[in-house]
Amino acid sequence: MSLSEAPGSPKKPRLATLFMLCFKIGILSFGGGLTGWIYQEFVLRHQILSEDDFSSSVAIAQMLPGANVVNLAICIGELLRGTLGSIACFLGFLIGPFVAVIALLNVFDQLAAFEFLPVMFNGVAFAAMGLLLLTCIQGTQRAMRFPPSLIVVVLTAVLVGVLEWPLIPVVLSIAPFSIFIAWKRS
Amino acid sequence: MRDNLFVNLALVFIPFSLTSIGGGIAIISGLQNEVVNVHGWITETEFVHLFAVSRTSPGPGTMLATALGWKIAGWSGAAVASLAFFLPSSLLCYAVFRFTNTHREKQWHRVMREGLAPVGTGLIIAGIISLFRLADGGLLALVIAGLSCALFFWKPKFPVLIVLALGGALAVLAWAWF
Repeated sequence: MSLSEAPGSPKKPRLATLFMLCFKIGILSFGGGLTGWIYQEFVLRHQILSEDDFSSSVAIAQMLPGANVVNLAICIGELLRGTLGSIACFLGFLIGPFVAVIALLNVFDQLAAFEFLPVMFNGVAFAAMGLLLLTCIQGTQRAMRFPPSLIVVVLTAVLVGVLEWPLIPVVLSIAPFSIFIAWKRS
Repeated sequence: MRDNLFVNLALVFIPFSLTSIGGGIAIISGLQNEVVNVHGWITETEFVHLFAVSRTSPGPGTMLATALGWKIAGWSGAAVASLAFFLPSSLLCYAVFRFTNTHREKQWHRVMREGLAPVGTGLIIAGIISLFRLADGGLLALVIAGLSCALFFWKPKFPVLIVLALGGALAVLAWAWF
C-alpha cells in the first residue's frame, strides 16, 4: 500500500518548480483537460504527488466553489509547500491564460478568415479528453484492488455524469460511505 | 466614475466566485444577465463572442471573467474582474484545505484521503461524460480521444502539447477529406 509521503520528504519541490509547472500547464492547456495535465506532470512525470493525494484533492476541489483546476492547484501547492506553494501555483496557473485570452480577443476577428481553426480547436479538445481518460483509467485500476472502492467510482460517475444529479448532495452521500469502508479496511 | 466602474465590476464577480460550484459552467447565464441586462456594460452579441473566444483560450474554462473585464474596462478591468472572480473562491479553498491538512499525520486524515480518492476518480469520469455530451463530436471525438489516451497509456510521459497538436491536425485532415 503506497501511502502519501509525509511533508518534508526528500522529494519536496522548490517553489520555482511549482510555479513553472503550473505556468506551463496554464499557458499550454488548449482544449481543456487541465486535471489530466496536472495528473501527468505532478504524479507521472515528476512524481512529487501520490495517486491518493491527487484523487482526494480532486474530490475536495470539485465540491468547493471556483474553477476546479485552480482549486486543485491550490490544494497541491499547500500540500507540497504550504502557503507559499499555494500562491506559487495560483499565480503560475493564471498569469499565462490571463495574457493569452486578451491576446486572443485582439486577434480573433482576423482568425475568422481561417475556416479550419474551429475544426482544429475541436480536435485539440478531443485529444485533451484522452489525457483525462488516462487519469480515469489509472484511478479505476487503483480502485480495482479493493472492490468496494470500484463501486464508489462507478456510482459517483453514473449519478453525476450519466443521470446528472447535483454534485454536492451526491458527494456528501457517497463520501461518508467511502470513508467508512476505507476505515473498516485499515 | 472609473473607480465606481471597478468597484461595480468587483461586486458583480465576487458573488459568482463564491457560488460557482462544479466548475463555472453553471454561472454563465447568471453572469450574462448581470453584465448585459442589469449593468448594460456590453451587448448580448458581445457576450456570446467573448464566451466563444474564452473557450479557445488555454487555462480554466472560466477565463471568460478575464475577457469580460478586459472588454468592459481594459487591462485594469481584466485584472479587477480576474481577481474578483478567482481570489475569493481560492481563499476559501485554501482555508478549507489548510485546516484539514494540519491533521495530515493523523490516522483519520489518511482514512479520509483514501475514502475520497475513488470519489475524485468518479467525478473525473463524470466530467468526461459531460464533456463528450457537450462537444457533440461523434465518432471523430471518440477516435481522437481514444488514440490520445492509448498513446499516454503506453508512453505516460509523452509531451502533451505534441498530442494536442496531432489531435488538431487529425481533425483538420478528417474535415478536409470528408
